[in-house]
Formats: sequence, structure tokens, C-alpha cells
Amino acid sequence: MSPASPDDLLALADAILERVGRDVAEVTVVQHEEALTRFARNQIHQNVAASSRRVRLRLMGDERVGVAEIRGEVDDLQGRLIAAAEAARELAPAGDVTPLPRPDAGSDGPVAHSPATALCTPEWRAGQVGTVAAVSAVAGFEAFGALQTSLTHTAIANSQGVRRHAASTSASLICVARGENGWGYADRHHHDIGRLDAEQVAQEAVETCGRNQQATALDPGVYPVVLSPYAVADLVGHLADLGFSALAHQEHRSFMRPGERLMSQLVSIADDASHPDAMPFPFDDEGVSTRGVSCIEEGVCRSFLHDSATALREDVPSTGHALPMPNTFGPWARHLVVTAGESSLDDLIAACDHGLYVTRLWYVRDVHPLRTVITGMTRDGTFLIENGRLGRPVRDLRFTQSIVDALSDVRGAGRERSIELDESERALLVPALGLGSFTFTS
Amino acid sequence: MKEIAELAIDVAVSSGATYADCRVVQRGIQALTVKDGRFAAVSSFEDEGMGIRAIVDGAWGFASVDRLDSDSLGDAARLACRIARASARLRRQPVRLAPAPVVTGGYVTPMERDPFEVTLGEKMDLLIRADEAMGAVAGVTTHEASLEFVREHRFFASSEGSLVDQVIVESGGGMDATATSDDDVQTRSFPNSFGRHQLCAGYEAVAAMDLAGNASRIAAEAVALLSAPPCPTGRMTVILDGTQAALQVHESCGHPTELDRVRGDEAAYAGTSFLTPDLLGRFHYGSEQVTITADATTPGGLGTYGWDDEGVAAQRTVLVDRGVFRGYMSSRETAADYGWTSSGAMRAESWNRIPLIRMTNVNLEPGESSLEEMIAGTEHGVYLETNRSWSIDDRRLNFQFGTQNGWEIRDGKRLRLVKNALYAGRTPEFWRSCDAVAGPAEWRPWGVVNCGKGQPGQVIHVGHGAAPCRFRRVSVTASS
Repeated sequence: MSPASPDDLLALADAILERVGRDVAEVTVVQHEEALTRFARNQIHQNVAASSRRVRLRLMGDERVGVAEIRGEVDDLQGRLIAAAEAARELAPAGDVTPLPRPDAGSDGPVAHSPATALCTPEWRAGQVGTVAAVSAVAGFEAFGALQTSLTHTAIANSQGVRRHAASTSASLICVARGENGWGYADRHHHDIGRLDAEQVAQEAVETCGRNQQATALDPGVYPVVLSPYAVADLVGHLADLGFSALAHQEHRSFMRPGERLMSQLVSIADDASHPDAMPFPFDDEGVSTRGVSCIEEGVCRSFLHDSATALREDVPSTGHALPMPNTFGPWARHLVVTAGESSLDDLIAACDHGLYVTRLWYVRDVHPLRTVITGMTRDGTFLIENGRLGRPVRDLRFTQSIVDALSDVRGAGRERSIELDESERALLVPALGLGSFTFTS
Repeated sequence: MKEIAELAIDVAVSSGATYADCRVVQRGIQALTVKDGRFAAVSSFEDEGMGIRAIVDGAWGFASVDRLDSDSLGDAARLACRIARASARLRRQPVRLAPAPVVTGGYVTPMERDPFEVTLGEKMDLLIRADEAMGAVAGVTTHEASLEFVREHRFFASSEGSLVDQVIVESGGGMDATATSDDDVQTRSFPNSFGRHQLCAGYEAVAAMDLAGNASRIAAEAVALLSAPPCPTGRMTVILDGTQAALQVHESCGHPTELDRVRGDEAAYAGTSFLTPDLLGRFHYGSEQVTITADATTPGGLGTYGWDDEGVAAQRTVLVDRGVFRGYMSSRETAADYGWTSSGAMRAESWNRIPLIRMTNVNLEPGESSLEEMIAGTEHGVYLETNRSWSIDDRRLNFQFGTQNGWEIRDGKRLRLVKNALYAGRTPEFWRSCDAVAGPAEWRPWGVVNCGKGQPGQVIHVGHGAAPCRFRRVSVTASS
């Protein structure tokens, strides 16, 4: 598929703004190319590529806002887009309309971008999957998973003078190995596909699978746990969604109590869009530069994420965490970074007398948002820890647990961190964690 | 559309495809939201593109493009064939497709009132009235009402000669009221949680919801939940309302009867299934009260259409018959593994995604009881309404659900409102404990608009006909 140029996308945005002829309009143009090779039972069973461009117009005036979006190269795109947005604006009732942001001093970098990822071919992807399948087959297992690459050009311009553009890439390799009586998991994510070592991923999945055969039942209860970075990512992503947004705070839905220590001193969580290992991206969906925000600092609740609407209510600057506006969801964390500790994974396990090692969590859902209670299952490798050593595999367990309570008793954090993408494909840079107690309910 | 599809297929066949199919899709979405009496937004979304699937050297390739000129279509068709050749490097068995009749035809969602012909003013007035009524209840912190309408024109063509032209129209709406205190947040939704309830129907479906007429009630319930006692704990009788029964069916019967999960095609992401083919015809999935079908012909159902995205006619498949596991939802490829024909359940989110086996309308067939009778026949239990949380393991056995509302039942009478209810169990044991399902008078199609599956991820709209139903000796707790 033909790559877009920044000039093309911004020129389209400028042309629409000019044709609108009003001083209250915002245009977003996103060109997205993606490819994914999916495998099951050591074979490729699905293999796809998609190319699309979407153009979005937000039009304001007379305390009204209308939005129109078109994906696809339709006839008279500009005319149809403007007519649809204008029709929506005219019929919308008057209400709170957040003004468009003005240009800020932020730069268009750093951005997670790799030419190698952008140019990845189906033949190369098949070769990498072949490596995974071969490692798995040698161990007598079957491999399942997906290798995905994407290239996204994003351009945002508004009639207040904002003009932003960035090209970003993403690459992910997910692998599950299946033996006769158990599974193992591994994944890697990076903007540079050259940093994904297919053999290493496959070896990790195969090793976990090898240990996770003939799992036996364990009584539910409260256990100390060591969570792998895969599991920690799920925990931290849900925590962020339950409280880091200023809108959640303004609507009294957030667990955060600024200035209060709710968690262990070992817990520091920031949203850092400039961190080179957290899929960096310089601006939000309003074109506002994304600033680093410390949400939890040594266990103490600190700051919230803002978009223009929440910032206006508190008369503070936006932190650049907007989703496409207007929306009722509020600001969103996209680059969560958890501070590393000083322990190796072996140290964390050695420090646990009797507990569980959890490879991965699955189907995690909020149960009580204000109390950060979530539920979910363990998956693809849960092991008893006995006398500081990894022991027998146990069958998957359901947990129901307050995240804040779990993070109030952190026994240690890993010094190595890995990039994870959660269910919503947001980037998280997280270590393994040793926690004093975790409640398994069935 | 026909010319576009045939051109792409011709290029694929001349590039070596032994089979190819193409979908050209035009979609329009209109969304309206009002929140807290001061935020209002109207959005429109148009979408157009083409996806082509090809088998070359016995393996699949797929490519899609949003430029519908002949050069772009040809490039996409050739790319699909190139991707298929790459797939073939790691394919032991060639893809086989179960036979399917070559079909030609059209389908349009039946409706009384085209939602795109209704003025934005009328729609916004409906939302404002609902939002105002919620906001008038003392103690409500935030309140939001929304509508969504979808029109999708799909054209399908295959190298076998099938040509299918369909227009699917969906209408949906819903509202949420939230009340907060220093240590609690409680939300009530209507008619369903997750933003809205949706049907394949015209504007009459939204009008029938009577959002404004229910707004004060749900807002008052949200406030009352703040001071309500926690749900009682222990083994007890549970009665689910239709919306929660629909989600229970979705998670614990719909997903495990998708045949691609059984093959392992979804093992790395959505998971597998405990319902393996050796259990067909002999496994007691539930009690005799439990009959579950996958029916893509259910009037108004959100998974209702004329043909699926492989050109296979919509049909009704029995999944569980009076408690016994009887069938799967399948595709032409998965059905071929067992010598079956496809159940017509292949659906794609849009033109840029491949079809996967997805739920159509997975319905719990109506029984002979009623909610009133079920409550009267309950000594100690809870009546649970409207989903709040849901989770199930990757084989679809170990589940836990929470609901927004609970009503404690004692000696056949509905007593006080209780909050934070959770119930948990294992799928077969739970459905075997079902002793009553309400009859046709309380049975209706519900829409689920957030069903996720596949890599890259696809969110699709599915339907579930359901009525209140009762289960004995269920594990119930309250989230603390």
C-alpha cells in the first residue's frame, strides 16, 4: 500500500479548514496500514492486510458542536464531511462547548517509528512465524499466536493554528504454546520489529508450557503472589482507567485522593508519552502536546490527566491526554510507566515462602470501580512457589481483588521492565511485582 | 458494487486464486449524546471499502482497501494472493470449504420507520427529555442518554458465482444515571448496560424503549442503591432478568459453541471451548428447561440478516436441546473438518476485516413460567437486574457476574433492594440448576454491541432472545 506523506495529510486538513471558512473547526486525518499473520497448531491460518484513511471534522459555533467522520476515499469527501458536520452542529442543542486548543510549544517528537516495521512484508512475517513453529515443534508442542505490524500517520490541524503530524509504527508477537496437558505464554511488543526476537519469544512460551503440564487444583484463598510483567500490565491498566482521569475525579468516581498514601512506597506510576520504551507519541487527539504526569509517586496519589474540557473546569492547562473530542469518556492514559525495582525475577520468587507465580491474567473486569475491585482468571501458567522456589503448576484460578489493596503490600519490584500492550492496545512499561496478598475466590 | 466485487475477484483468480470472495461495504452511523443537561454532541460516520479473501496454494490471504478505483482494487486482490502464498509456506493441510449453494439475492432489514428519515430534532428531543428526567432526581451526580443508528449496505460476491446484496439497519438507545457518596458509586442503566440496547429495526425500536418514561425510576434506583444493604451471601436461588440472562447465554453458551474456538483458531486470544465435538448429543449442558438456538432469522434480532459473509443463508441451529448439547455455529472451513455444512455464522466487523464465526442471535428459548411465578416459588433468593461486571475463563467454564440491582426474595415475596451482587459458578452445573424460564410474554430479543473476538480485534453486534429465568443453589456474594 502506498504510504502517506505528512504534507499530503496536512494539506488535506488545511483544504478542509479553508473550505469550512469558520474559525472554530478541527480536522484530523489518520492513514493506517496494518498487517497481521495469525497462526494455530504450528500453521498460518489467517493472514491479512488493511489500508484505510479516515478524516474527521469537528465544527463548533453558537455553543453547538457537530462531528462528522468519513473512512474511505468517497466522492466529494470534503463537501460531504462539511455538510454532515454542519447539519449535526445546527441541530445540536446549545451546551457546554470546550474551545479549541491553541498551538503550544511542544515538538513533534519523540515518536515510536521504525522503517523496518513500516516495510515489513508477508514473506518476512511468515518466516518469523516459521521460526516460532519450529521451536515449538522441536519441543513437541503446538504454537498459536499472531505477528502484527502497523504504520499510522496522524495529522491534526485546527483553525486556531494547531498543526501536528506524526508517523508511528508498532510491532507485536504473541505466542501460546500447547502441550498435551497445559499451556505457556510469551509476548513482545516494540515499535521496531527488529527488536522482536521470534526464537526468544517461542523459547519462553515453550519453557513455561513445559513446566505447566498436569496442573493440579489448589484451594482458593489469600496467597502472596509474584506477578509477571504480563499480569502487572493488566493490573496497572485497570487502575489507570479507574482513577487517573480528571473527569473521574470531577465526577467523584476516582479512587485517587491527592496527597494521600494509598499504596506501597515501591509503587510509582506515571503516564510518560516521551519515554523511549513506552511507544512514545508527542500529542493527543486535540493536537495538544502530551506532558508527563506523575499519578502515583512512592505510593502517594498525585496528579490527574487532563483534556481541554476537564482542564477548563479547573482552570489548569491540559496535560494532552484527550481522546477525540467531544466525548463523555474523558482523558485517557496511553503510555503508562511503572518505576522499576531492584530485584531479579528469581529474587522475587526467592523472597516468597509459600505463594503463587502468575504468568498471565485473563478477562479482567471491574467489579467495584471506586474500591478498584476487579475480577479475572489466571491463564497459561500458574505455579506454586514453595520455599522460595517455583514448584508444581496449579489449575487456573479466579481472583477478586482490590488493586489498591494489592499494591499497598508490595514486597519487591523487578529491575527489568517490558513493554506490554493491554486489551485496548495501550502501551505499558512494567516490571514483575511481588505482592504480599492476593485473593483467589474459585 | 457488483462491478467492483467482480473486478477484484477476476484479478484474484487470474493471480492464481482457486477460490476468492469479496465484500464491498458502505456504512453510515449516526450517534447522539446528551449528558448532564449541558453536554450534547451529534456525530455522523461514513465508511466505505472493499475486502477480498483468496485461497492460493491451499492457504488463505486477505487484503482490504478504501480506494475503489480499478488500480487499487487490483492491487488489493494481488496482495491477497501474495499473502496467501506466504501463508502456504506454513500450512500442512490445504484449506477445504464445505459445499454451499451458489446464491443470488437481496435482503433489507424490515422496519416501520427508517431512522435516517427521522429528524435530528426529534431524536435530540427524546434524549433531552430523558436526561432532564434523570437530572430532576435529587442525589444523581451524572446522567447520560444516547442514541445510535446504523445503515450498512453489504455486497458479497464469490468466485463460485454467488452474488448477495443486503442492507442492514440498526436502531439503539440507552441511558445511565450515576449517584455517588464519599465511599460509593452506583449506576443504573436502561434498557441495558454498556451504553445502549440495539436491534435490527427502525426507529420504532427506540420509541418503544420509552427512555423518558423510565428515566426517573432508574435515577431513583441509583440513589437508593447508595444506602441499600449489600446483597446477602451464600447458596441461594437466583432469578436473572432478561438482560442478564442474555449475557449469561452470550458468555457461557454462545462463545463455547463457536466451532473455530474448538479447532484452536482462537487459542492465543479469545481461548478455546469446553464443548468438544465428542460431547455432541450426549453431554448434559443444562436442565430440561434449557433449549438454546443460534437463529439468524429472529425478527428484530441484532444478529439477523439474509446471508452471512460467506454467502451462506441465515438459518436456525439448535445448540442445546432440552439440556443436551446438540450443535455449533460454524463456517464453511470449520464445517468441512467434520463433513458438515456451514451454519451460516461467518461475520466480519467491516470491509477491512475477515469474517470469523460470530454469534448470530443465540437465544434461550422461552419456557412456560413467569417472573411472578418464579418469585412466588422462591423461599430464599435474589432477583438480579442489569449487568455490572462479567468475566469467564478461556474455556468458558468458570464465570462470575455482577449486577447493578438486586432484590432480596423471602418466602415468595420481593423484599428490599440490595447492592453489589455477584454470582459465580461453572457453566454446566449452573445451567443444570435452571428450573424455570419465563414464557413468550416476557421473552424478547436483546442486543449486545460490544462482542470482541479475533486478531486484529473485531467488535460485532449480536442478539440474544431471553426471558427471566431461575437457578437453584447458586453461589452469591457481594463485592466489598
